[in-house]
Amino acid sequence: MKNDIILQARGLKKYYGKGETQVRALDGVDLDIERGSFTAVIGTSGSGKSTLLNMLGGLDTPSSGSILVDHTELAGLTDEEAAVFRRKQIGFVFQNYNLVPVLSVWENIILPICLDGRRPDRKFIMKIVSLLALDKKLDSLPNQLSGGQQQRVAIARALAGKPSIILADEPTGNLDTRTSDDVIGLLKMTSREFHQTIVMITHNPGIARMADRIIHIEDGHIAGSPAQERA
Amino acid sequence: MNTFSENKEFHPIRVLTSRTFRNNRGRNLAAILAILLTTLMFTTLFTLAQSLNRNMIEMTFRQTGSDAPATIRGLTEEQAARIAAHPDVKETGESIVLGLAENTALTGTQVEIRWADAVYAAHSYSAPTTGRLPQTADEAALDTLTLDRLGIPHELGQTITLEWRKDLSCDEVTVSSFTLCGFWEGNESSYSHSAWVSREYADAMTAGAAETDAAGVETVGTDAAGVETVGADADNAMLGLRMLQIFPDTDQDIEGVMDGILAETGLTGLKYSVNLAYLPEMNASVFQESLPMYLGMLLVFAAGYLIIYNIFQISVTADIRFYGRLKTLGASTRQIKRLLYGQADRLCLIGVPVGLLSGWLLGMVLVPVLMGTAAQASVSASPVISLGSALFSWLTVLISCLRPARLAARISPVEALRMSDADAPQKDRRMKKAAGNTTVKGHRMESSHPGRTGSAFLLSMAFANLGRNRRRTLTVICSLTLGLVLLCCFYAQNAAFDMEKYLADLTLADFELSEATSEDYMGGYDPQGTTLSDSLVSQAEALAGLEETGRLYSAQIEWELPEDTVQNLAAFYSEDRLADWESYDPSGAQMLRDALDTRAASAVLYGLDGIPLQAAVQESYLMAGSFDAQAFSTGAYVLAVGPSIERGTVPDVIPAPTPGTEVSFNGQSYTVMAVVYPLNPVTEGASQKDADARFQLCFILPADGFQSLWPEHTLRKLFLNVDDGHLKEAEAFFEEYTETVNPGLPVVSRQSMADQYQAQTRSAAVTGSAVSIVIALVGVLNFVNSMVTAILSRRREFAVIQSVGMTKKQLCRMLVMEGLCYALITLASSLLLGSLAVGVGVRAMVAGGFTTFRFTLLPLLLCTPILLFAAALIPFLCFRNLEKHSIVERLRME
Repeated sequence: MKNDIILQARGLKKYYGKGETQVRALDGVDLDIERGSFTAVIGTSGSGKSTLLNMLGGLDTPSSGSILVDHTELAGLTDEEAAVFRRKQIGFVFQNYNLVPVLSVWENIILPICLDGRRPDRKFIMKIVSLLALDKKLDSLPNQLSGGQQQRVAIARALAGKPSIILADEPTGNLDTRTSDDVIGLLKMTSREFHQTIVMITHNPGIARMADRIIHIEDGHIAGSPAQERA
Repeated sequence: MNTFSENKEFHPIRVLTSRTFRNNRGRNLAAILAILLTTLMFTTLFTLAQSLNRNMIEMTFRQTGSDAPATIRGLTEEQAARIAAHPDVKETGESIVLGLAENTALTGTQVEIRWADAVYAAHSYSAPTTGRLPQTADEAALDTLTLDRLGIPHELGQTITLEWRKDLSCDEVTVSSFTLCGFWEGNESSYSHSAWVSREYADAMTAGAAETDAAGVETVGTDAAGVETVGADADNAMLGLRMLQIFPDTDQDIEGVMDGILAETGLTGLKYSVNLAYLPEMNASVFQESLPMYLGMLLVFAAGYLIIYNIFQISVTADIRFYGRLKTLGASTRQIKRLLYGQADRLCLIGVPVGLLSGWLLGMVLVPVLMGTAAQASVSASPVISLGSALFSWLTVLISCLRPARLAARISPVEALRMSDADAPQKDRRMKKAAGNTTVKGHRMESSHPGRTGSAFLLSMAFANLGRNRRRTLTVICSLTLGLVLLCCFYAQNAAFDMEKYLADLTLADFELSEATSEDYMGGYDPQGTTLSDSLVSQAEALAGLEETGRLYSAQIEWELPEDTVQNLAAFYSEDRLADWESYDPSGAQMLRDALDTRAASAVLYGLDGIPLQAAVQESYLMAGSFDAQAFSTGAYVLAVGPSIERGTVPDVIPAPTPGTEVSFNGQSYTVMAVVYPLNPVTEGASQKDADARFQLCFILPADGFQSLWPEHTLRKLFLNVDDGHLKEAEAFFEEYTETVNPGLPVVSRQSMADQYQAQTRSAAVTGSAVSIVIALVGVLNFVNSMVTAILSRRREFAVIQSVGMTKKQLCRMLVMEGLCYALITLASSLLLGSLAVGVGVRAMVAGGFTTFRFTLLPLLLCTPILLFAAALIPFLCFRNLEKHSIVERLRME
């Protein structure tokens, strides 16, 4: 078990500002994520959960501490290296989908792969597409889709590159309850199917409960939740 | 669209480039227009610079009378043949001079009678375009200008009689008649004209005279007046003078090549002259002439850069989240930059070719206008120009994109996410804080002044917003202020130019007629010239609307310097001053030394009345003594003309007779009444012919007194003032007179001088205005950019303010007030700095010269409403654009 840790964070700190007005968004976070697990990070607004996710995805750099993703140390990466790391190792799913409006569904899905100069694995991606029931929408533009459909495109995009880890930031924040359940169900199902690791942040305990493991984050610290952790 | 089913390879950056390109029609149109204009300006300026170069060289060729790189005067036929045979010599042209035509109709122009081979004639711009060169002894070919002077129609077969002297030192005149066998269009700017005769005639004429040897004409080479023409001091050697044009096979380092050729042919003793156009100085002056064009190109670059930069900056700011998103998904900085440059290249692909074409067309129209010589100007249209302009425009666009591309590429993904994340207020610290501040402040104000929901609160909010990005606000205000202040300075400087003062030094009256030989520096002024004939004078004095007239006579006599004058001269011309004089005019200084030794000088006497006399004795023109009109008119007094120093300054000792001393001319004695500053329109002109080259002093006496002394001297100048209503009429009269009666009558009109000045300074004026306009444009663009980006980046903030109750109208008013605040601060600082700059800087700059300073801030006044209007309009347009999205949309800001 211990040797299949895909993500390891140690002493992660992120401070904004200085002196009296300093904000400690993250204040010493240690975290291990196992390969193939589905983890939910839950916390209130301002607890630091989005900051944590940005650190893990190489979108932001920590003030101190280390993050090891699949043997890559993120702390010292340059802007450029971080971009390359993201497109190879991370699949993002955002609350507002972050689809490129001028690209079709298919193009959006294969965009990170092509930005990396790789050739998309059509068979593999078609499998994802049919699991997410997007087969008929491949030539549509994002603005022709419903919110749930757009988020499914984002999930397909996150899966398509066979990343080390999928980071989802409030993936259901803009969706109604029924669609939310559908989307999370799909996320869970596809990650099982393709043995993907997922870290998802949410402030919705109902959504969090669908995960294998729940991490509570409060004031920049991970709050102990032994019962959940054991399960 | 690259569809899934097509199964084509997907190049994300290429696809994104073309799709974002298509989605930005408005921006593209603006950018293409900007690129088009930039290319157009580059092409026009390149064309102008190139054509200017070519035309200047061409003009120099025409002035020197030949485009041959080097000319040798006075060599033998055998020497000429030896040079022609040299391997470095590509071609030679040969000519033999016989003499100068002295027909009375040709007074004031130099017409050389000579034989030339076809090469020589062609390279002297004097190859007959109609007919041919003379072949038999009774044939001659002339240019149309000379034919006009002689009153001969432009037709082959006409009979021409030329009078000339074989020996200039004796009076024996040779009169020969020829049949016109060819003619060509004459050139006004040429120093001299040629009358070609046949070799047969030339040989017959020179048969008596021995072949001139090289030593005989050595003086000619140093003659400043002519590279190829014959100077006044080329005495008897003119008959049979053989001249050779040499065309080496290179046009670099003509002097070096010529030295080599002469050394190798063993003719080192021969003097050659290099065509002005081939001298290094020519390149320098050509460069100087085209400098405004190069400066203009710099300006075009600056303006083009600013416009294109602004367009891209705004576009990137508006789409910044798009770039952030790509970055999040793993696009590298290079890929994002490529996305932007790809779009810039597409824009160039459309803008540049159209710009090239229109620029070339514009150049075609402008070249003749700027050169002023439509007939001879040629327009360059080389592929180098197109290639150069295209390259320059493309570089301008790329450089313009540097910063926007960096902005887009540098966007941190977190930043981009924040901007689109409506549900994480703690992340939006900076923006929220600012928005919060203004909102809270607004609420506080509203609650403390319950009755005031109006402007005061909006204004304070608008003002507070200016302070949010101090650097940007400062940049905008500074660049706008700089533009306005410079505009004011340029205008004030131009407005300070006083045409009256300028003209006063050049001309005294509306019209100035002169004797044709008055300006003949080679032959000298003929005091019995007949240009200003009695009939012309009486016609001129009968002109309608005539207000004033004035006459000028002149005579130059030998004169022994009185003791007092010698002392004054010696005191004034100290060794320092003499050495200084010697450095630029050794012969002039020597003449003074001789005069001081021997007392032998010459006096130039001007007989004046009317306009020139009044002008010469104005209070400000008196250097010493005072003027008493009544006493002066008795004829017992003269005025001495002082040295040409700046008016208002009086030297310790004036180098002229002291007022009150007696001087005598032609045995008659006069009292010097005063010393006056020299008045150019009176004292300018050639020395009297046959006058000895001596140190000379000028004196003014009444015209009547002058006439009684020299009754045989004819009028040298006639000054006429006509009332404004009759100026056109008078002009028409002189135009007709010079066309029909005497084409050699020199007429200078005040209007023509003013026109000439304006034509000469046109490019300077254009450049000055262009500079200020570009600077003002920079300011306006900065303003637009600043307003637009400020509003775009606050879209969500505005939605927040609106969501808590600000109405659309209030928001719009707040934005307009922000713009007006900018404008008012700019205007206030421009007023302050402009007053200082104009009142102190320009006043000091224009002091002296032909100027009268007037304090003016007219450009600022004119710009005020424009600026205020723009300051209100731009925020309003931005607001309209903002309103396309609902508050909810903007709150979620996808």
